[in-house]
Amino acid sequence: MTNKKPVKNKNKKRDPINWIAPIVMLVIIVVVLEVLVRVSGINRIVLPTPSAIFAFTSDAFLADLWFHFLYNFKVIFVGMLIAVTLGMLLAAICSQFNIVVKAITPVVILLVVTPMITLIPLMQLWLGSNPNIRILVVMISCTPIIMLNTLTGFTNIETSKLELARSMGASKLQIFAKVIFPNAMPQVFTGIKLGCIFSTIGSVTADFVYGMQGLGFKIQQYTKYVMTEQIYGSIILIAIIGFLLYKIVAMIEKKVVIWKI
Amino acid sequence: MQEPKIKFNNVTKIFKTNRQTITAVKDVSFNIDEGDFVSLIGPSGCGKSTVIRLLDDIIKPTQGDIYIDGEAIPKRKKISPEQIKKMGFIFQQPNLLPWMTVRQNVSLPLKVFGLKGKKWDDNVDRLIEMVGMTEYENAYPTEISGGMVQRVGVIRAMVHDPEILLMDEPFGALDEMTREQLNIELLDIWRKTKKTIIFITHNVEEAILLSSKSYVMGTNPGRIVAEVDIDLPRPRTLDMIITKKFIEYEEELTNLIGEIDLSKIK
Repeated sequence: MTNKKPVKNKNKKRDPINWIAPIVMLVIIVVVLEVLVRVSGINRIVLPTPSAIFAFTSDAFLADLWFHFLYNFKVIFVGMLIAVTLGMLLAAICSQFNIVVKAITPVVILLVVTPMITLIPLMQLWLGSNPNIRILVVMISCTPIIMLNTLTGFTNIETSKLELARSMGASKLQIFAKVIFPNAMPQVFTGIKLGCIFSTIGSVTADFVYGMQGLGFKIQQYTKYVMTEQIYGSIILIAIIGFLLYKIVAMIEKKVVIWKI
Repeated sequence: MQEPKIKFNNVTKIFKTNRQTITAVKDVSFNIDEGDFVSLIGPSGCGKSTVIRLLDDIIKPTQGDIYIDGEAIPKRKKISPEQIKKMGFIFQQPNLLPWMTVRQNVSLPLKVFGLKGKKWDDNVDRLIEMVGMTEYENAYPTEISGGMVQRVGVIRAMVHDPEILLMDEPFGALDEMTREQLNIELLDIWRKTKKTIIFITHNVEEAILLSSKSYVMGTNPGRIVAEVDIDLPRPRTLDMIITKKFIEYEEELTNLIGEIDLSKIK
């Protein structure tokens, strides 16, 4: 019996460098930008300094911007939840029948590449001006890509794993629950992460079209009144929403997909 | 005369793809008695993997019948739970499920077969201990070595106490030393449990060391070419490899396989 311990070092200690490094990077970028913008003497209407952006946006945030921030967050979060559930469910059903998979994959790809945001004005025509339609927009933007990746995850399974299941006389349901579903998880999370991207795009564009609420609407307002600092600030806030979402998904992924480091 | 444990009766398997029709095995017939340790050897494509997959209901025969303990495997329906539980399959590729720990992987057949209770849990403990993996029972497959993965694969196939073990080149991907070690461990297990074992390998030395009878298979089409009794004393040990009789068997089997190969080069 060999003496060596072939177990990989599990000392993945939460190395503080992992989060210190990006923060330091961010600080450096902000400082450099601050200096460059000041030195260049560029008009604040075109490109304000980071410190100005921060100051004006904080004021706006404490005033009413926080409401719109939360609004977008809610729309995106709820829209994504529905999209993930729907996308995975549809993929699960379709994956059962080989012929359905073949038939539906090109359709789903089509839905993924078509900018769903182009449908927004049409949706306003069909469904009216209910502000919660935005959740539908996010849903439509994200479901195809999640479904596509989940479908790929369900159908791309190694023969050896399927043979294993058959050698144990596993039923179709057992094979799906114990082998196919867990095996698909990495691919599923890839799809969800991609969905995060589409969700923010969908939400902000819906704001542009529907108006009245949301960071996209505020950006339009700020543009009208040439409040450039707040424009940049709002854009950053949107990015923060996307980032938070991505991080949440990544955290869940770490718990679920334990075998892909 | 006791019923053979496993019986193949004129079994043929033809694979049809878009591009070609392949006769994987043709008219394969043999009997294996209970407690036998039998090897299947032959060049690539001779159908040896097909044979054990037909037995374990991973694929269905095109023609012919397969019997386990005198009972035929249904030709259209899935094999019955009683029949499938009698067999354990050990794969060539390490196919432990990467999202499960060693222990969970070993317990998988129990979950699928619905076998619960202390007796079976103790079985899991015992088998993990038998291959010296107790320390790693909560490790994931990505964290253990190749030899360990194969050991887990072997005990997983044994956890539900099957009477028949089907092994498809289980040690092929390992280094020589680990393979020899596992061969001896396997013989030990066989001696203690008296299971019926069908062992596939392309390694002639391994076949002679382990089995009592060797079926040599040939290609084009896949079929049994020869049946050779390995009349060496048991328990087998590694130092037998250099004895005269062993080497004679090696020559005999290698020649048989070689004849098949040469016949392809017209």
